[in-house]
Amino acid sequence: MLESGLCSYVLISYGHSALSSDSMQRMLLDLSGDDAVFGHFGATGGYALAARRAMHEFGTGPETWKKIAVGQRRWANLNPAAMMHSKPMTEADYDNAKLIVEPLRLPDNCLITDGGRAIIVTSLERARDLKQPPAVIMGMGQHNPSTVIAQSDWMAGPTGARQAGEAAFAMADITLDDVDACQIYDCFTYTVEITLQDYGFFKPGGGRDWLQGGTIEPGGRMPVNTSGGQLSEAYFMGMTPIAEGAMQIMGRCGERQLGPATRTKSPEIILCSDNGGILQSHSCTLLRRL
Amino acid sequence: MSYDKPLPKLNSDNRPFWEGCRQHELRFQRCSDCGHVRWPPSDLCPQCHSTEINWLISKGIGKVYTFAVYHTAFHPGFAADLPYTVAVVALDEGPHFMSNIVGCRPDEVKCDMPVKVVWEDVDERITLPKFRALS
Amino acid sequence: MTSPIKDKYAIVGVGYTPQGRVPGRTSLSFHLEASANAIKDAGLNKNDIDGFISYRNFPAASDENELTPNIIAQHLGLSPIYMSQDAN
Repeated sequence: MLESGLCSYVLISYGHSALSSDSMQRMLLDLSGDDAVFGHFGATGGYALAARRAMHEFGTGPETWKKIAVGQRRWANLNPAAMMHSKPMTEADYDNAKLIVEPLRLPDNCLITDGGRAIIVTSLERARDLKQPPAVIMGMGQHNPSTVIAQSDWMAGPTGARQAGEAAFAMADITLDDVDACQIYDCFTYTVEITLQDYGFFKPGGGRDWLQGGTIEPGGRMPVNTSGGQLSEAYFMGMTPIAEGAMQIMGRCGERQLGPATRTKSPEIILCSDNGGILQSHSCTLLRRL
Repeated sequence: MSYDKPLPKLNSDNRPFWEGCRQHELRFQRCSDCGHVRWPPSDLCPQCHSTEINWLISKGIGKVYTFAVYHTAFHPGFAADLPYTVAVVALDEGPHFMSNIVGCRPDEVKCDMPVKVVWEDVDERITLPKFRALS
Repeated sequence: MTSPIKDKYAIVGVGYTPQGRVPGRTSLSFHLEASANAIKDAGLNKNDIDGFISYRNFPAASDENELTPNIIAQHLGLSPIYMSQDAN
């Protein structure tokens, strides 16, 4: 609507008393529909089905997901606003964590958070006159495979990320090599793996090796979810990754700022993803510094 | 003893399916025009948009496409069943159907495991199709 | 062919609220605080906002009414040209 000239300044807002109210409890039964007849509830159950199929198709599993959980926790430990700021996590902590819906453990799940997050989007022309350095949108893409998990045959990839990513990169006219950091919608550790895989960072099953040696962590060569993400900072749906992407581009992240503070590359280009349902919707946005 | 788990909601789309279950028949809609066998049921073929259907009776045989083992009770009615297995079964006729695997331990369930339908009569209205390993 | 929207738009403000376990507040109050903070962060005035998207909401808590974009816009004092709720 900005491009059509309909609007000049768009506000996008999220707010939820998710932890302290009974809203989530109501959602569990409301949205499970007839799946509840067979004891299938919620997002953890849905992504557990996807993760198990991925284990079968390309040999992933907790040894890969552990690195995502522990890696992102390290970013949260640098972020005073993160729910898990003062809770370090070791690989042993992950291994000992309880199974919720197997193969997913508690640290494979995103947080439930009270709070809100909002962003403003406008034209670059107007942005130049405003307070903050703008996070410029280089490219975007979407793809919504839509089908519920019970009838999905792409839960182990390629998900909507493949097509959405291709469109975003084509629009931005860049390649993966140009990306300095990623903010990946991380409702579950598996979501991060399959998203990065479908974007082309590694081949099916290559995630475990790719993550080795702290790739996504402070000091790593491809930082992922630098606020701690939905896994360790706060769950605000797609607002968690996009807000952090913008703030990092703007250089306002303090102790967790990409660049010298965290022994990483100062970010020119950040890849942000959004996801909906059980891998049913995907969007990819590439942000850059002016 | 009262049944304390959720029951399916019957409506014009799915009533023939649940009536079939009462007779221990697993029924699916096959599109008369393109042959696609669909689940969940509806008036429209998602492949070709035809509204012509006939209902086939499935042999009830398929493979576990994927599964998840619940270690947490999200609903009190399932607390006594923990740990229990929810699976997506790929039936030989094509549809993917979500149900439970029964008759074996959760750690015995594997992807691609052959299974066959078994029937759980809940009450005079509802019979649930579940699946067990085909030996 | 270059896309008409490449490098033409930008995120210019981000609004935060207290987050984590923050009991005793409505979901509406979080929308309002985040939105007001984002507008201030951008150096804008609420009257500048002419497009509004609110994120999909979960079912309302039993002590709150269902939140629609209309309700949030009303409390923000907005009457945007474009308004919708995110599909996911």
